[in-house]
Amino acid sequence: MKRNLLIFGVGMALALVTGWAAFPHALYVRRAQPLEFRHKTHAEKSGLAQCDSCHLLGTNGEFGGIAEVESCAGCHADKMGTSKAEATLVDSYIKPSRETPWLVYSRQPANVWFSHAIHTRRAGLACKDCHGSMGESDQQRIYEQNRISGYSRDIWGHSMSRLERAPGDGMKMSDCEDCHHRRNVEVGCLGCHK
Amino acid sequence: MKFTRRDLLISTAGAAAGLVLSPVPWKLLSDASIWTQNFPWIPQPAHGPVGTKYSTCTLCEGGCGIRVRMAGKCPVGVVGVSAHPLTKGALCPLAFAAHQLNWHPRRLREVRHDGRAASWSEALAAFRKASSEGPIGIVDGRPGRAASSVFEAFTQKQQGSYQAVLSAESQALAPYADWSGVPVASLGYDMENARTVVSFGAPLLDGWGIPGRFTHLWADRAAGASDPQLRLIQIEPALSRTAARAWQWVPIRGGSETQLAAGLARVLLEERLVKSAGPMPHLTLDDAAAQTGLSAGGIRDLARTMAENRPVVAIAADGNPAIAALNDLLGAVAAPGGIVRIKEDTTPHVPDAASSPLRAMLLDSTVPWEFAAQADAEVFRFAAWDGGGNTAGWLLPAPGFLEELTDVPTPPTSARETYSVAMNLAAPATEVQSAAQFLLNVDATLPAVDKVIHARCEGIFRARQGTVYGEQTLALSKIDSAQHLEEQLRKGAVWMGDPPRDGRFRCELKEWPTGVGVSPAASWATAWALPVLPALATKLYQESTLRELPVGRQA
Amino acid sequence: MNVRYGFVIDLDRCTGCGACMVACAAENNVPPAAPRATPRTGLTPMLVRKVSNGMEGAARREAFFPIACMHCGNETPCVAVCPQQAVEVDKATGIVVQMPQRCLGCRYCMTACPYHARYFNWWDPAWPAGMEKSLNPGVAVRMRGVVEKCNMCPARLHSAKEKAAAAGKKEIDPADYIPACAKACPTGAITFGNLADKNDSVFTAAHSSSAFRLLARLGTEPKVYYKSQEPWVRALAERDSDHATEAQHG
Repeated sequence: MKRNLLIFGVGMALALVTGWAAFPHALYVRRAQPLEFRHKTHAEKSGLAQCDSCHLLGTNGEFGGIAEVESCAGCHADKMGTSKAEATLVDSYIKPSRETPWLVYSRQPANVWFSHAIHTRRAGLACKDCHGSMGESDQQRIYEQNRISGYSRDIWGHSMSRLERAPGDGMKMSDCEDCHHRRNVEVGCLGCHK
Repeated sequence: MKFTRRDLLISTAGAAAGLVLSPVPWKLLSDASIWTQNFPWIPQPAHGPVGTKYSTCTLCEGGCGIRVRMAGKCPVGVVGVSAHPLTKGALCPLAFAAHQLNWHPRRLREVRHDGRAASWSEALAAFRKASSEGPIGIVDGRPGRAASSVFEAFTQKQQGSYQAVLSAESQALAPYADWSGVPVASLGYDMENARTVVSFGAPLLDGWGIPGRFTHLWADRAAGASDPQLRLIQIEPALSRTAARAWQWVPIRGGSETQLAAGLARVLLEERLVKSAGPMPHLTLDDAAAQTGLSAGGIRDLARTMAENRPVVAIAADGNPAIAALNDLLGAVAAPGGIVRIKEDTTPHVPDAASSPLRAMLLDSTVPWEFAAQADAEVFRFAAWDGGGNTAGWLLPAPGFLEELTDVPTPPTSARETYSVAMNLAAPATEVQSAAQFLLNVDATLPAVDKVIHARCEGIFRARQGTVYGEQTLALSKIDSAQHLEEQLRKGAVWMGDPPRDGRFRCELKEWPTGVGVSPAASWATAWALPVLPALATKLYQESTLRELPVGRQA
Repeated sequence: MNVRYGFVIDLDRCTGCGACMVACAAENNVPPAAPRATPRTGLTPMLVRKVSNGMEGAARREAFFPIACMHCGNETPCVAVCPQQAVEVDKATGIVVQMPQRCLGCRYCMTACPYHARYFNWWDPAWPAGMEKSLNPGVAVRMRGVVEKCNMCPARLHSAKEKAAAAGKKEIDPADYIPACAKACPTGAITFGNLADKNDSVFTAAHSSSAFRLLARLGTEPKVYYKSQEPWVRALAERDSDHATEAQHG
């Protein structure tokens, strides 16, 4: 009997270790961004301290997302420094007028409608409430892509159990629903889907 | 101790329990469901900052104002412009999917010669050779554009011929031009002031003239009213869309419009329902009745109805001179509500004819696919979409929808002179050249299209009359420079001229005309120059029973 | 303010041109017909049907009925039967919202809909090569196996809300939210507005004596009203279904 329990326990332990440690490691693949962009450098050195200096909200509320290569060319038309990242930017993207193929951590499926204008202007949310301290980072975070769904690890959150998440870690529909529930803002399917 | 089969089973059970308590099954389920919603073969819309640009539709001569939604450099939606003075926001069904036409499967993507692939340089060389060997005939399906000026300039230098293919609406105005000397491009219909409109088969509510102009007028003044301000009488054999909504539908035998016009004229003259004294048609009322299938009494009633609520105007579906003569009788020529003069230009447009048979012909992309070129001439046809059929000669890919800078002169049937510009908002989907650009490559001394547009803007500015309908509505007198005017037009504004100070003209008609018009094209909108319909037109004819695929059109 | 979006369609103004059908398909990324699609298996969230008074010759009269989802407000049939809760009546606007991404394709809702206003994606959507660049980025593309229907152009509502938020306003400007069909109609036959607002012209039109709703006796309280001064059109719309039908069925 004790032996059976032991065998059972060993099997269970093996499964748990695989599930909690090996599985996440295998599920996500690390992918490199086209070049290493540092938010902190830009905030400090070029006076672009606000998020919306580059991540613009248009007059009709349309969100511009990650700045187009034309905006980068505003300063980086020619190389200003000596970093490899800037060299890549100027030679591979600005000069040939190609859009930089950034891997977006917060990319949502095509059927999701999220309005930055409504969340920042009407709800008064700060960028870091959902995106964390990305703007203050002096190192680019590794992009981990889920091999099956294709989305970033940021969407589920780094923790497999989804307990104890920092802001910016976890952008599933249930996370949106939780915040809406806390703030008592009912939107229905129409409010978030297209 | 040995590891037995029983141990294996027990450890498997343990592993199963552990697996359930680990994220594996739940995460895999979640991820798999997301995976099923993201199959790679499902097309995704373009990304890019969304903006709005204004322009003019170039699918037909109507020149409807359009507002184009752009995602980056791709047009992703087309709607009408309510501030446009002629269309007031209306568009025909095909305009809403026009931005998709540039990727139609029958888009011409390569130069072809006699069915085989060729190159632009070969075509250019062949054209230069032909041009040096004999006169070139240029055929223009939409005269009056800046490109048309380029064609005419080339023709004059090369001593070839220039020929315009007129739409059905323009053809309907041709008899008045013949009889009065006023060019067709200076004539229009003053429908806004008419109280009775008698259409001889013209699809007034289904794409005639400028779609939206008459539909708005009719909707405001006639729809649903038993005693409307505007009486629409539709004369045609079948119950078309226009006939179904008309105040009165007069079913006649197909092809008997000429005889009906003659019968009506006879009644109008004999019963002295009109001021005019003649000319009297030769056909008797009984013969007209027999040929149209109406009774003599029916024709009399119709004539009386036409005369009782004036102004009255008759609209022909083609260049039928009998209907034009009827209008003359009804006092609808050079009068409010009828055929009016829209500008003071009196230069008649005489098509240039070459002195000897043509060596080659150049067909602009606006020329209908059915146009028959001279049999032994080498044909250089520009087209954005392949119309099928004859593959002899050169097929040259032309710019598609909103892929070239072009201008839009006054659309036929308009009561006022207008001018607008259609900017090249979309990047060409393939390597293209317009016919005008091609001729410039042959002879660089010809005027460029943008220079012609610039000159026309200067001309309009100097005339100091009219109104510009753009972001704001401004009298031209308030615009400070030709440059400013051109900027407004390039941003989608439209200039509309004031009525001419002296709009009088006369039709000298000694006797009733004997010619007959050509039967109207069997299509559900007026002569559609494009050989292909937008892909979404399948909603109208394949996925519903609303319309039938037009005869001769490919899906 | 209570908002109940609805339509009033003036049948005396409808000329059957089909602009609403094409504009709807373009706005909502509805694909062109698959080669084997027929009027029964096509995707026409807005469908214009031709009806007649049944007579031939000079006495024949025809009219056109634009039919799309009626956005039933009471005991909405499709909502009641959906096993996936893929459709719901939006509380804020009254729009009956179909979420194709939740749909599992049982088509029970198509059976339940008394207006036959729901369509199934029998085939994967396919556009000619390159044409996907012209798709509307505001609307998600569906895949085969799901049901779709008119959703009152939510992409336009979203843009209007975003524009209002950017300008610091709480309510949208009504001129910013007009569904594609109403915007496209060249005669103004299709009008759109807030049926809960007594000052809205659509409210007045919906309560005029010539206004009626299709299958009103079912009690589903559709939010699409029709209007006609022609007695035969009204009689046709309100006839008992036991009698011989003259309407052409697609």
